[in-house]
Amino acid sequence: MPNQNGNVYGLTILSPIIDDEKATPSHDLQIRKYLATLPTGADSPFAQAPGTHLARLVVMDDVVYVGMPACEEHLNSKYLIFESNLDGGPNGDLDSYLNGLAQNIPEHLDAIWSHCVGYPGAANAKAFIDYMKSCQLETTFFFAAVNDKSVPETLRALETQRAVTDFIATHQGMEPGQLQAEFIRFANDLKATPPPPAGSMAPSREIKTGGRNE
Amino acid sequence: MSNINGKVYAMNAITPMRPWKTWVLRLIFFVLGHVKPLQNDLINLSFIEFARWVVVPRNKFPSLGDGQVKEELKYDYLLFFSNFNGTWNQYIDAFSAVLAKGLNLIWRWSEKFPGSVPVTIFKEYIARVQFDTDYYYTAYPHATANDLKSAHIVQAAFDSLSEQATISTPQQFGDAYLNFVLQVQTHLGETGEAPVVF
Repeated sequence: MPNQNGNVYGLTILSPIIDDEKATPSHDLQIRKYLATLPTGADSPFAQAPGTHLARLVVMDDVVYVGMPACEEHLNSKYLIFESNLDGGPNGDLDSYLNGLAQNIPEHLDAIWSHCVGYPGAANAKAFIDYMKSCQLETTFFFAAVNDKSVPETLRALETQRAVTDFIATHQGMEPGQLQAEFIRFANDLKATPPPPAGSMAPSREIKTGGRNE
Repeated sequence: MSNINGKVYAMNAITPMRPWKTWVLRLIFFVLGHVKPLQNDLINLSFIEFARWVVVPRNKFPSLGDGQVKEELKYDYLLFFSNFNGTWNQYIDAFSAVLAKGLNLIWRWSEKFPGSVPVTIFKEYIARVQFDTDYYYTAYPHATANDLKSAHIVQAAFDSLSEQATISTPQQFGDAYLNFVLQVQTHLGETGEAPVVF
């Protein structure tokens, strides 16, 4: 299945935006305005709903004209692109993901997609899922650098990596018996600590990179 | 507009293709998807978290009725979405240097594609067909693709040592811990804010 790579699902949705010349501002502009105010960190709507690794929303105004001798042509509608890389599990469970969006962030979904043709609202989860699927495009080729880990597993692993680095640095040259006791305590503490919230940055580093990086 | 979130850059590109050529491209992607060694260059580049190509046939743009005018297009379109670490220039340069043949194989079916070498006209083409992202979210903005791979290696080694720790003698644990450190030492790079890029 081209939409799937391992346990990760590549969702591509093109929703036609309402073309209403009486609307002021136009619907595409209203989507853009809303997206410009939407938080992108731990308070992002996609962090509140489960399963999103990376996602983007893009208003596509038109196709691109690449110049002669190609033909120039234009779209009749503008489209809202929703591209999401999500935890689909081994069977590519798209319905659970879309249902999770509808249950957790309906107000954001409605604020964005209410400017799209035929959007039924997120209150009716089944109608919402059917609508999203009717706008879905099949991915032709999907690449994932890590395709067998869920979002919580990845956040947990990043936290473990950071904590293990600190542990190793502060326990060098320790006698094995004491090291073992401290490691067991450290491992238990780490397992009991919830992973950092999705979308959050790591703790600030004291050492900053300097100079230009081009 | 926000193409960047933390250490990840979102690229969108769309290129027109004559409809008969999309079948050639589909065949290429089919082979690429089923012969994993052909993906090695893409994997070894190691700064792409997720990427996808989507062929949209000219008559398959979603049409929902309800007053929407159906599209009347001559071309099929190739959509490309990438989530990569680093700057736009670094990405295109690396693509051109390492994946030139692969890129040509994918995009040569698009109208006016100049080839991925020399890189200057390739960049001009990409800039022309690229469009910007309005909203970009990542669950781990401070991590690169390499950080993710390393973190999972550390996690697996850590889980294994944790199990061993409770049933080993201090001497056995000392040896196991040393092996653990040797195993993870190259995967302990610190994540954090992205470097400032000018």
